[in-house]
Amino acid sequence: MPTPMPTPTRPTGAPERDGRLVILGVAASDSHAVANHLIAHALRADGFTVVNLGTCTPVAEFADACERHPQAEAVLIGSLNGQIHEDLHDLADAKRSGRVHCPVLVGGNLSVGSVKDEASVARLYDLGVDRVLTSAADLVPTLDALYTATAPDFVPAAAAR
Amino acid sequence: MIPVPPAPTPDPPTLSESATYITQLGKPTAAEVLAHARASGRTALQPRCGVGGHREMALLLKELETEGRPDLLTLTIDSHTRLRRFEHAARALRTDHRTLNGYPLVTHGWQRGRELNELVAVPLEIRHGSPDPRELFATAVACGITSFEGGGISYNLPYSKDVPLADSLAAWAEVDRICGELAGLGVVMDRELFGTLTAVLIPPSISLAVSVLEAVAAAAAGVRCISVSYPQSGHLAQDIAALRAVPVLAARYLPAGTDVHAVLHEFMGVFPRRRHHADDLIFYGALTARLGGASKLITKTHQEAHGIPDAAANAAGLRLAAVARSPLLDFITVDEGAVAEELEWILRETAEIVEPVLAAPRLDSAIVTAFADGRLDIPFSASRHARSEVIPRRDGDGAVRYHSAGRLPLSRASTARNRRLLDGPARTGDGAGAVTGTTGLPGADLFQALRRDIDYFPLLFGELPQDTTAPGNTTADSATTTPGKEPVL
Repeated sequence: MPTPMPTPTRPTGAPERDGRLVILGVAASDSHAVANHLIAHALRADGFTVVNLGTCTPVAEFADACERHPQAEAVLIGSLNGQIHEDLHDLADAKRSGRVHCPVLVGGNLSVGSVKDEASVARLYDLGVDRVLTSAADLVPTLDALYTATAPDFVPAAAAR
Repeated sequence: MIPVPPAPTPDPPTLSESATYITQLGKPTAAEVLAHARASGRTALQPRCGVGGHREMALLLKELETEGRPDLLTLTIDSHTRLRRFEHAARALRTDHRTLNGYPLVTHGWQRGRELNELVAVPLEIRHGSPDPRELFATAVACGITSFEGGGISYNLPYSKDVPLADSLAAWAEVDRICGELAGLGVVMDRELFGTLTAVLIPPSISLAVSVLEAVAAAAAGVRCISVSYPQSGHLAQDIAALRAVPVLAARYLPAGTDVHAVLHEFMGVFPRRRHHADDLIFYGALTARLGGASKLITKTHQEAHGIPDAAANAAGLRLAAVARSPLLDFITVDEGAVAEELEWILRETAEIVEPVLAAPRLDSAIVTAFADGRLDIPFSASRHARSEVIPRRDGDGAVRYHSAGRLPLSRASTARNRRLLDGPARTGDGAGAVTGTTGLPGADLFQALRRDIDYFPLLFGELPQDTTAPGNTTADSATTTPGKEPVL
């Protein structure tokens, strides 16, 4: 039986973000569903269309989603178990080949243990990650900043309210 | 430590040989223990427990039986076995059984399972999380184990990313059919459904709707004893009403002669970390089970926030829950008016969700289609075969309501009541709900509001700062992987 693809959804009543679409998922070795759903609900409430690939998502699956949704403006990868470096091993290749065409943002508990050291963040940039987030509150401002950089006439929804 | 490799297993007994073994085992079945608990008004107690090694499992069961005095005991099964990766489980047994997060029953084999069964006086239940449990169930029956948890919906959506519901429903239908055969041989298996689902902020009508659908399928396949489990939300009237809804739903939707029990799971979400807070919550759960008339309570421990408990903590959790059964506590009563109102609405919402599905000619395909359409849904699904468009929230009194019902076919009246209770004046000290109402929360506020709802008990006990939105507010807790702790993406 073929796997049904997650349907992009936007709730009625959410602010319009002109069809701005993001791809969301949790790193391959990580099965934490709750935080993933919290982020998806929050982004949809802010008007984004979210393609949520859910837990345990390998790089190849993020790349497939990018090919299905060429309009995606970012790939958002969460990890709460600290094995993110191993999980993103193939990311640099996927970006080089163009299969992942948009910025990759990573957030969560990014190293095993409570100290998030500089070296562990630097290794993520080496793997092809574009932004490392330490707070969920930074997510939408970061997306808007990245979006503004490519679409100069864009007015952030917060400023328009 | 000497590794104990899996034993070579001789041919398993036939179904009728297993039935004979069970009737001659000299202990009650799980169904008999539950019937006695309900008749006597004294909730049966059961812990979760499971370790990889056979000797270690035997010692754990013995210690819990002696120190905790449970009415039933559990074999919690490891993740490899749940996913039918029996070779992985065998390799772990050959190298280091401590890497297993439960007892690999299929790999140890039915003879060792009988050893465990004969070691303790109370019946055993298998608790696991398998979307396809057929080998595990066959082994459990050969061991003479008389209670088996799970269902085609409730052991798929919270546990697997991409197992089609049609597959898990078909696998569980086979289990239920064999239960019917066993009943014909004189052994009534208890089939417990996992209404706890993803364990976080589950609206009662979603938990009960999934259980009703699984129960109707099980009864049609021949199951005679069904336990409907429900996860404590923490709101007393809502929880008592949910437990009291179980016999009403059974009378309404199940064939006469089906024995149906209400089971309470002590709070399954983010537990307080300090022992005296955790103990408060455990005792509160046990009182809820008493007042709700639950046949059985699945207990937690004061080590819940820290990982898998040791035997001493597990036994202490059982002894504490047992205190709530004391006849001295008969003076404790509830606001029956509040419970009656919750009960009426729980029954109504549940009917609105299940009745369109039950009206379809084929139940299994109706369930699959309804989940695909979102007419059936669960919050925070691990599986992509549920849409998870339902967003729960706590109201000002702590009860779990629908912030968004997604595509569930709830009536206008039901939706309006949920909205009214979420927007209601009782919500104090919660800026998000009070200022903007809850239906149009901007994303960051919704995110923080849900985090507060998930962290309800740690917040209530003052273990977390009230304002969790402060930047840089990382505590020692942030290294844990508990839901609600520092989720960024």
